[in-house]
Amino acid sequence: MFDIDLQSRIPIYEQLYKKVIEMTVKKQLTPSEKLPSVRELAKELGVNPNTVSKAFQMLERDGIIYSVPGRGSFISDKNDSIIAKNAAEGFRTAVREALNGGLDREGMISVIDSVISEKGALSDDKAK
Amino acid sequence: MIKLSNTTKKFGDFTALDNVDLLIPKGTAFGLLGSNGAGKSTILRLLSGIYKQESGSVTIDGQEVFDNTDIKKRVFFINDETVQFGSFTLKSLKKYYKGFYPNFSEELFEELRNTVKLPEDKRIDRFSKGMKRQAVVITGLASGADYLLLDEAFDGLDPTMRIIVKRMLVDAMLDRKLTTVISSHNLKEINEVCDSVALIHQGKVIFNRDLDSIKGNIHKVQAAFNKDYSKEDFEPYGILHYSRSQSIHYIIMKGSEQEIREKFKDKEPIVLDLIPLTLEEIFIYEMEGMGYDAGQLN
Repeated sequence: MFDIDLQSRIPIYEQLYKKVIEMTVKKQLTPSEKLPSVRELAKELGVNPNTVSKAFQMLERDGIIYSVPGRGSFISDKNDSIIAKNAAEGFRTAVREALNGGLDREGMISVIDSVISEKGALSDDKAK
Repeated sequence: MIKLSNTTKKFGDFTALDNVDLLIPKGTAFGLLGSNGAGKSTILRLLSGIYKQESGSVTIDGQEVFDNTDIKKRVFFINDETVQFGSFTLKSLKKYYKGFYPNFSEELFEELRNTVKLPEDKRIDRFSKGMKRQAVVITGLASGADYLLLDEAFDGLDPTMRIIVKRMLVDAMLDRKLTTVISSHNLKEINEVCDSVALIHQGKVIFNRDLDSIKGNIHKVQAAFNKDYSKEDFEPYGILHYSRSQSIHYIIMKGSEQEIREKFKDKEPIVLDLIPLTLEEIFIYEMEGMGYDAGQLN
């Protein structure tokens, strides 16, 4: 579930941090849901438990999860703003790449519109 | 906590370790990275009390290691030569180590022995190389030692055994704050298992850092500008490497993506692409930055 790339250029804790946010956004993790323990996750991923702890600490610092001593870590229900900030950061990167690739503002806006309408069509399908 | 300060170890005229300072906090999985002959095994042998340093100190939890039985009972050294009890069987080996390590777990030893299917009453000198390696590893894991030293230990293990060892290390790190020191010339291994790493080269510690803080904190920058800039204009940014191909500047520099973008802001780049370096690239540039020839790394 928490698949990460051990050989990636991106630090493992950062991948885990982003993964939890991604899963929260996609509703694969829902508010108050319990996360696997540091031990479980370290074993599943084959990584150092200190690395997993570090990701959890950052998630907690940013209000994405909260921990209850003796019970574990849970997804927070007040994490919308940090998630939006994260999404904005990802979008900025995409915009930069698009600019480098020769797409202008108008071009980007039309891409944005088409992606949103695709998404809209998808969620309409779900609604039916 | 492991501490080497001003430690020098010589073999005749050869200086294997040259004034080394190294601090390994309790509960970490620490990687010693370096080419053959760099001094990694010498450090492990000092820590297990096999060698005595010529000068400086080698302490574990504040106590000098050499000739210190109390400390030796808390350290297990996993290497090919640890098990030299040729005529021993695993059964007698278990008994021997149980007598030495106060926290030796017979249950864990048996559990692991069954998992890897090693016979208990066959002489160890009739084992294959791989089986011998497994025998040392399971003994080390079952020893209950606070400090586990692994000398290139992952190299000879098959994938299943690797996973078992990794999972065991997770438990031991969380349950009893086990400290592991792993020497390897394999960056991939160190990257997966360790949280900190020291690069050893020609008997010196080139650098020593938390892996996460190295990764993602050094970037390859590709930039183009409307104005004509030269290398000197970027020097204040703390660049490690610079090259240029027509209008594109290629720069290696430290810093997070955000920090680097901030630095370039006032030059109004028309292109500014950042790629984090791989660990391997980081080591090479760090070594070059300190005046070493990174070609010697391999």
